[in-house]
Amino acid sequence: MMILGIYPALASIGLVITVFAVIWKSPFFNFVGILLFIYGLLKSVALIMPPLPGQVMVMYMAMSVFSLIVYFSIEDKTFKAFLEPMRAVIADDDKKVLRVILVFVALPLFAGYLTYTKVTPTYEPPVSGRIIHPEPPSQIEFKGNTMNVIGLENPLRKDAANLAKNIEDGKKIYYRNCFYCHGDDLDGRGHLAQAYNPVPLPFRGTDTIAQLPESFVFWRVAKGWRGLPAGAGPWNSAMPSFEDFLSEDEIWKVILFIYEATGNKPRA
Amino acid sequence: MIRYISAIFIVLLMLLYGFCEDAKANAGDNPQGKKIYDSWCSQCHGFKGDGDSYTKDLSLPRPRDFSFGVFKFRSTPSGDPPTDADMTRVIRNGNPGTSMPPWVRFTDAEVKSIVTYVKLFAPDTFSMEAKPIAIGTPPKASADIIARGKELFKTAKCVECHGNAGRGNGEKGWQEKFKTDWGYPITPANYTQPWDLRNGSGIEDIYRTISVGIGGTPMTSYMDSLTDDKRWALAHYIKSLQLTRKPGVAVRVKKVEALPSSTDDPAWEKLEYLDLPMGGQLMFEPRNFTPVITNARVRGVYTDKEIAVMVEWSDKRPNKGGDNKPPDGVRIQLPSNDKEGSERPYFYMGSRKAPVELWQWQASDENGAMQLTAKGYDAVSPVGTRGLSAAGTYNDGLYRVIFKRAVSTGNEGDALFQAGRFAPFSVTLFDGQNGEEGNKGAISAWYFMMPEPPTPMRVYVFPPILSLCTLAAGIALHRRLRKKR
Repeated sequence: MMILGIYPALASIGLVITVFAVIWKSPFFNFVGILLFIYGLLKSVALIMPPLPGQVMVMYMAMSVFSLIVYFSIEDKTFKAFLEPMRAVIADDDKKVLRVILVFVALPLFAGYLTYTKVTPTYEPPVSGRIIHPEPPSQIEFKGNTMNVIGLENPLRKDAANLAKNIEDGKKIYYRNCFYCHGDDLDGRGHLAQAYNPVPLPFRGTDTIAQLPESFVFWRVAKGWRGLPAGAGPWNSAMPSFEDFLSEDEIWKVILFIYEATGNKPRA
Repeated sequence: MIRYISAIFIVLLMLLYGFCEDAKANAGDNPQGKKIYDSWCSQCHGFKGDGDSYTKDLSLPRPRDFSFGVFKFRSTPSGDPPTDADMTRVIRNGNPGTSMPPWVRFTDAEVKSIVTYVKLFAPDTFSMEAKPIAIGTPPKASADIIARGKELFKTAKCVECHGNAGRGNGEKGWQEKFKTDWGYPITPANYTQPWDLRNGSGIEDIYRTISVGIGGTPMTSYMDSLTDDKRWALAHYIKSLQLTRKPGVAVRVKKVEALPSSTDDPAWEKLEYLDLPMGGQLMFEPRNFTPVITNARVRGVYTDKEIAVMVEWSDKRPNKGGDNKPPDGVRIQLPSNDKEGSERPYFYMGSRKAPVELWQWQASDENGAMQLTAKGYDAVSPVGTRGLSAAGTYNDGLYRVIFKRAVSTGNEGDALFQAGRFAPFSVTLFDGQNGEEGNKGAISAWYFMMPEPPTPMRVYVFPPILSLCTLAAGIALHRRLRKKR
């Protein structure tokens, strides 16, 4: 936040330079001021939303430079005035100090630095894309029996008389099997969660289980990492195959609980 | 007649009053507190607040039994109940290193209602007035105050439990009688791992803990035995011991002329390291719901011939494999047959299709190494040392284990190290005191180590050339323009 604060200041400085440049009729400083203003403004965006990616910044700035040069070069007279300060620094005898600083020291150093960043090898660890919501299979093997995932419904939802009891049973199952990772508050911030990658999903909020039918959740709980397709990176997942630890009935109960506790409804 | 009626009226009124009092004790006037408690606290603390709950045998430390009437985290003198602010702080911040999370979702009014409800479980305790101690402004940290704190750490006998380096490995911590008032064994805090400090890791938190102690535990109050400025000095010293974790996905392994000679070689300190948060192995039986090792620090170096990787972790009590406890130990896991485009093995013990190799060291054999191959958690077999060597030391609560191997073994299928290539690895740690062995350990996700290639020549050549060219161009332009003018 502290560092971000300099960008609005930069934009303001750019604006001030522009105003003075217009008064003193200097197209070059007008150009510099507007560019500084645009740069500061684009960077300030980060104060209210995620910062613009580097490539987008480069594109916007290149476009700005290009259109401003076109603008200042339409008239011969303006273009001459635009180039004048640069010519003066390079050639005039009374600009010797400025010339040494800018043209003979700063510019060569900057060129060297740019080259350095280009030729220094960078090593980035491999990034593998991961499908967050993989397609469920149409059928799964559950404890040796074949189950149809498509059209699978939670049988306990129909049992209205025992719903409260089943939810409480589900709560017990959740806190004996799931809360280490998915969290006491079902927010994905369990006390062991940070050890695993990908991090455990939260159930609270509207973008995980609220988007899924219960059949999908059953498949994920029952098969865990083993059931993930290759595109979803099964080798990284710490999600156990709960068919090893829980019965079919228990899995349905814990699914009842995670929807109930988060106030979410399964997608039909 | 009037007298009779008044008498009956008064009796009725008293009955009604008594009924109301009763209802109060059952949270009749705090339905919100009871509702939230039953929904979001009972799973660990029990519906009756006695800690008899779903998670009682699956959490370490165990969930607090409120009905016992002793409260650990207070700002009040020893023996007094905690203030409402103390209880609010625990609910809001949680207890780091335990299964008590920070409850941020509730409103202040809701937290207040929970506090009011929890107090009903220990009416006797809370019948006393809770008067917090004054926590003034902490003095500024300085080398001087830290040095004074370090001296006090010895003279006030903190070392006896917390150990020379503050890692919670002091001798006294392992005596039979080192238990809580609830009757459970407890271990002294490890100051170097702030993410595990139950009572908070800020300077005020440490000062408060030293001043009033932790209720029901061997950590007593130092209010009377140490003056205020001494307690602040001690707090600053303890704070100075805290490590900063360096998280990431990869660690660079630097090329050197010669490998460090031992675990205490100062050369290790200069190397880049990576901190791996550790969790329990939860995928296969026996599952480890209560791991106690929470961090592994990994770094490495290599020469033309050999690579050395060091793993470092805190352990409050070393186990060499005696007293019916398994030995402490470490395994580094690396993929076998790791070729371009091949499938990454499962992050814990690989799979039938994608096997892994394990570099193992156990405290029972300080200079022994063992290699194993695994094709899944249930298919692990030792294969001898295969050119791997290891050396481990335990000092002041810290294990440091170095594995050494040839960079290139020449054996088909051995884990591969090449300059510039990211080699996947994961770590498993075992704390014998916690009964950890086999598949019951603390595990990490996959990370990478990358033997860093020497800097290529072009980095030293091209930038100066470009600088000189720009300078030449500038001079040429200057001459031409000046003539023109």
